[in-house]
Amino acid sequence: MTHEELEDAVPLYAVGALERVERQAMEAHLLSGCVSCHTALKEYQSVAVVLPFGLNIATPPRVLKAKIMAARTPAAVAAEPTAQQPAKSSLEPGEWMNHLFPPESSSRAGSFGWVLGFATIAVLAIGSYLAWNSYTRITEDTTKLAQLQAQANATSSKLAALQQQLSEREKSLAQIRDALQHRASDVAELKDQLIQRETELEDAKIQLAQRDGRRTRTPQDELAVLLRTPDIKAISLVGTDMAKQATGVLLYDARTQKVWLYSVNLPECPNGTTYQLWAMHEKPVSVGMFHMDSGETAHLLVKSLPNFMSAKKFAVSLEPPGGRPQPTGPLYLASHS
Amino acid sequence: MDAPPQLAASTIDPKLLARVVKGDHQAFGQLYDQSSSLLYSMALRILGNREEAAELLQEVYLEVWRKVARYDVGRGTPIAWLITLTRSRAIDRLRARGSRAHHQVSESLDGPSASQVADRNPGPAEAHADQELRSLVVGALASLPQAQQQAIELAYYQGLSHMEIAARLNQPLGTVKTRIKLGMSKLRESLRHCWEHGDRL
Repeated sequence: MTHEELEDAVPLYAVGALERVERQAMEAHLLSGCVSCHTALKEYQSVAVVLPFGLNIATPPRVLKAKIMAARTPAAVAAEPTAQQPAKSSLEPGEWMNHLFPPESSSRAGSFGWVLGFATIAVLAIGSYLAWNSYTRITEDTTKLAQLQAQANATSSKLAALQQQLSEREKSLAQIRDALQHRASDVAELKDQLIQRETELEDAKIQLAQRDGRRTRTPQDELAVLLRTPDIKAISLVGTDMAKQATGVLLYDARTQKVWLYSVNLPECPNGTTYQLWAMHEKPVSVGMFHMDSGETAHLLVKSLPNFMSAKKFAVSLEPPGGRPQPTGPLYLASHS
Repeated sequence: MDAPPQLAASTIDPKLLARVVKGDHQAFGQLYDQSSSLLYSMALRILGNREEAAELLQEVYLEVWRKVARYDVGRGTPIAWLITLTRSRAIDRLRARGSRAHHQVSESLDGPSASQVADRNPGPAEAHADQELRSLVVGALASLPQAQQQAIELAYYQGLSHMEIAARLNQPLGTVKTRIKLGMSKLRESLRHCWEHGDRL
């Protein structure tokens, strides 16, 4: 509502004809200290308060005074239920306006002047009180606002700190994850290396085993050992016309019943043919076969021969590939007896 | 009409209430004597029923007895305080009656105007000061057009808002507002002339 509307509504307010919302707006406006509306209101309220004087006077029942005086005893008054006091009328203005303010008296110090004086003091007191109250409220509100602002700032700082910590934790976590992945990669690599090493070690073991096996089974080594044996039997072989430069020696170890044929300068075996050693008993018995490659000058053949002692003669012939049960090819080496 | 001055409701001395505050029974009796006729007349005007008006008056005086210490002389005259309190309680009671209130209001509207509805036989104890004031107010009200007087009385004695009055009278809201404003403005001017002579309330 504008000031003009409010000022226009003052007489309606004084006689109690405003709606609740309008009445509240009017009271708020009056509390704001509008002098012109206050002045008008005092005059209109003075009109309102004298309206009952326009009624023809009716005399109350004579017994009423006695009843009131009797009911006024402390016990009766105490017994008066507060509910009997109606709630503040919804029609009335604010509590501060419950007393009416007559207009100023111009000249004589009659009732109006007396009332005006008190009314002025009341208005000033109310104004002071309202001003002080408003100031106090504003101060309190400002303080509360500052406190709330401080709390909000503190909360924001805490939140920022927590976010910072959270960010750092996330960063640390990411670093730990990277480190873990690196470690996992290292472990995988180490596993591969370990497997490779194990493979190499296994190969090395195999090679070593093979080397060891070869070393133990090397005929030359055995031959060396055999040559140091005192009861060794030795038979020499002489090259035939097929190979006059060829020679050979046949050694026999009775303990192991093995024969060693060490042949030198035999020609290369052509076209997959093979040399075959024969022990000449009643009939020739094949002892074993061996092959001479290109550039090879000596060869050692080791075979088991249990009945060495019964053999009358030994010979080496060149036989077709795979050998033959009986000698078919020319002799290249032959013993003397 | 040569009633003693102390019986005039319009001239109740605030010192009388100060004595009542101290528990002075005689002072309370005097307060009743000076104000009861006016307050009873107003209660009767609002409620339209003598028994209920008497009942209301008893409640009001007992409330005054209990709360007289709350009276602040700086905030108004004793009779202004009593009139305000009585009107407030009567309107509350009227509204609490609900539909009955409407019936009573209708009776009032159909009946004589405010200046005529009360007891036709003013008490011999009515103070001279009150009689003079009453004649001034009656004259001021009589000078108003009937519609303005009716609107003011519906607001003041029935506690109706301008919207309720417009609905009750089946008149535009603006018309009712204007009637009240014009009527109150004329009363202010009439009574201001009286106040400028300064011998009333």
